[in-house]
Amino acid sequence: MSDHRFALKFEFQELLLVAIGAVPGALLRWQVALHFVDQNILANTLGAGLLGLLAGLPVAPRWQLLFGIGFCGSLTTFSSWTLDSVRLLCVGDIKSAAGLIGLTLGLGLGAAALGLQLGRKIRRLALPRSGL
Amino acid sequence: MDGSGSEALLVALGAIPGAWVRLLLVNHLQPMLPRKHWGTFVVNVTACFFLGLVFAQVERCGPITGLALLIGVGFLGSFSTFSTFVMEVLNELKASKYLPALVLMFASLLTGLVAAAVGYGLGSHV
Repeated sequence: MSDHRFALKFEFQELLLVAIGAVPGALLRWQVALHFVDQNILANTLGAGLLGLLAGLPVAPRWQLLFGIGFCGSLTTFSSWTLDSVRLLCVGDIKSAAGLIGLTLGLGLGAAALGLQLGRKIRRLALPRSGL
Repeated sequence: MDGSGSEALLVALGAIPGAWVRLLLVNHLQPMLPRKHWGTFVVNVTACFFLGLVFAQVERCGPITGLALLIGVGFLGSFSTFSTFVMEVLNELKASKYLPALVLMFASLLTGLVAAAVGYGLGSHV
């Protein structure tokens, strides 16, 4: 019984951390989309870079839940990207659709790789004797 | 900040369950799938379909901004994720698994595009 209650409490804490990260992530994505006509490229690139950085750092699981799954997961979006591309394809603008798909992918992968490098560099500087 | 406080509240109210369902679904699917990244694939493709559906309704019935903000921007935007998808592709590339990386990338993209188009078509014509 007490074990069961512990598991529930732990799960509640996990969900709380994800929620705390998800709200600012979604609000930032919404605001960025309102201010820049970039079809989520900016938010997606930023989120991919930040998630890469987190992957490079020695981050405790609870911060991974808050910043990774909550904030970055919510800041970035896959569905708007494909829907925007479909809408461009529907009006026959194949060039713009290909540009949106290629640019988002390229910037996302580049930002994630850069973030990962940076995170590993910070980890080496912070923990010089860890041998990592 | 543009947009009213109640609009922000709708986005936030959608975003919380969106992130929760993504986490729970990926964790639930993980033991059934050969690789964890196919869980993210299922999440993203599902979101594409429903976003197409929601967008078609918004186009057809005029600006249902409340619904669009709650479900489209909040829930589905938060449910689907680009950053995890990119990290999973990058992890495959870093492990020199070029073919699995390309398969994941193109499968996600093509299935996502088709799902969004099907959702959009279904919402527009039915």
